[in-house]
Amino acid sequence: MIELDARLRAIRDTHREAAADLRARALAIDTDPDAMAEHLDSPTYALIRESSIPAAHRAPDAAARPDRGTCLESIVGLVELFQGDVATLLACPSPALAGVFVELLGDEEQKARFYGRLADGQTWSCFAMSEEAAGNDATAMTSRLTPDGAGGWLLHGAKRYIGHGARAGVGVVFARTGRSALSIRAVLVELPLPGWHAERLEMVGLRGAYLSELRFDGVPIPGDALLGQHLPVTRRGIWGAMTTFHNMRMQLAAAAVGTSLAMAEYVAEHRKTAAGLPLVLARAEAARQLVYQAAAQLDVTPERGYLSSVAKLGATRLATDIARWAGAALGPAGLVEHPLLEKWTRDVRALEFMDGTSNIQRLHIARGHQSGHADD
Amino acid sequence: MTTALRDALPECERLARQEGLAAGLAAAVADTEVAATAPGRYAAVPEAGLSADAPVRRHRLADHEGVVFLATPGTAPHPPAALVDVGRRLAAARIGLVRRLLDQAVEHLTGRVSGDEPLIRKQLVTGAIADALTEIELLRVQVHGQDDPGALADAHDRLDDLGWEVLKLFGAAGYIADHPARALHVSVLVGNTWVVRDGGQP
Repeated sequence: MIELDARLRAIRDTHREAAADLRARALAIDTDPDAMAEHLDSPTYALIRESSIPAAHRAPDAAARPDRGTCLESIVGLVELFQGDVATLLACPSPALAGVFVELLGDEEQKARFYGRLADGQTWSCFAMSEEAAGNDATAMTSRLTPDGAGGWLLHGAKRYIGHGARAGVGVVFARTGRSALSIRAVLVELPLPGWHAERLEMVGLRGAYLSELRFDGVPIPGDALLGQHLPVTRRGIWGAMTTFHNMRMQLAAAAVGTSLAMAEYVAEHRKTAAGLPLVLARAEAARQLVYQAAAQLDVTPERGYLSSVAKLGATRLATDIARWAGAALGPAGLVEHPLLEKWTRDVRALEFMDGTSNIQRLHIARGHQSGHADD
Repeated sequence: MTTALRDALPECERLARQEGLAAGLAAAVADTEVAATAPGRYAAVPEAGLSADAPVRRHRLADHEGVVFLATPGTAPHPPAALVDVGRRLAAARIGLVRRLLDQAVEHLTGRVSGDEPLIRKQLVTGAIADALTEIELLRVQVHGQDDPGALADAHDRLDDLGWEVLKLFGAAGYIADHPARALHVSVLVGNTWVVRDGGQP
């Protein structure tokens, strides 16, 4: 069991207060993900942004806050925020996944450029890896970087399901410079750029994530935009992506747990005698504990993804089960009468498709078991 | 079961499979006094044929399917006996819709390759398709053979789950609002307005 110490309890409590503000904005963002002006200056969004920017790159008045800590600290806070609303949190302009990757592979000058673009709190970042044909198989990507003959590159290809892709001001884009897995590289882009075409996809739910499709038609990329040049060859591309994905998987598991708890508590508030409520709450709390344990494990062995896959598979499955229960628990037409609950039942389904479907997680888990990781 | 209901169930399934959710729903609520039958404060109905000033609540995804939610007084917790027949016809329509999308998913998976092999040949995928077909066959028998409200509510719960299992076969494409799989999301909302559950099992 992970017992929260005083520091973790303080993180939990701070984020719990912010969750209520996220929830109050949830339906407006779901209705119109483009109408963000009224949300961008909120103290909650400032908290989220600053907690994911290293102190050295923050505005002076926020530099005194503690730096981003362990994975467990991050997940304890995120479960609380996600209990407010996952899509509203994802709608916040912040370093997000691109930040995790730039921290791993960026040199100091690239980090300064990246965080500098995000400093105004009005600029989104994107992490562009997924492609329509390649699905979850990053090594099958076809986007390519070809030398421009003057020390830079030209980017060709397309990406799909990229959060904030159509409104990002800065981002990380993956493409290959050759055929081998080691030739998959990432570049830091500052937008707009010629040849960069982007459009938001109309999604069923999680609309604050602003999932988009991108097309690159000879986008000029300067030579110094290539990430990881200062690192050994084996640590330049896919390695960083895999490490980033372990982190992302934990965030998705936290999103599933947070929404599960939110749905259970929503039902408890509106129908205290709902059948099965104590069991639902018990299962959601068990999933929270599993996600905590997986985060703590990732802090010890960041390259080992067995338990994070277990957490993602288990928590997303639980969240879709609880969504069905919650819809039934509020009686006939409960989903029509309770739009916030109905929104959550759509949102949790998105988690299935992000960073590996359940079938992909099953394969990771079985491989982890064969490697002895289930007994660690 | 009356002769009319016995004839209606396969027709509801056929219409939804061939023409989609709204057609199946139209057949399910045909000849039904919606206000006097619907258990909750809203009832899913086809938009076609409604008067322009009918009190409806709209939903972004349901709009695409031609389905709206008509304000109703609500008959729960003492709905009329006719509600069971509507629920059975609607379940048949939802079975037809799942079968419609399952056929499309199989076509999608046959054309999609991962690791030089069509996804349709991956064992986990094949298993999911077989499970879906088995559940369809079981549900059809249950809906045709049982008039117990509990069995009917169970069938709709399982149709929610089955729709999700089929939807996942499309991958992230099934989560785009203009994809045909959108109908499976709306089907959950439709069922939610016409079925009385005892709170459901977690």
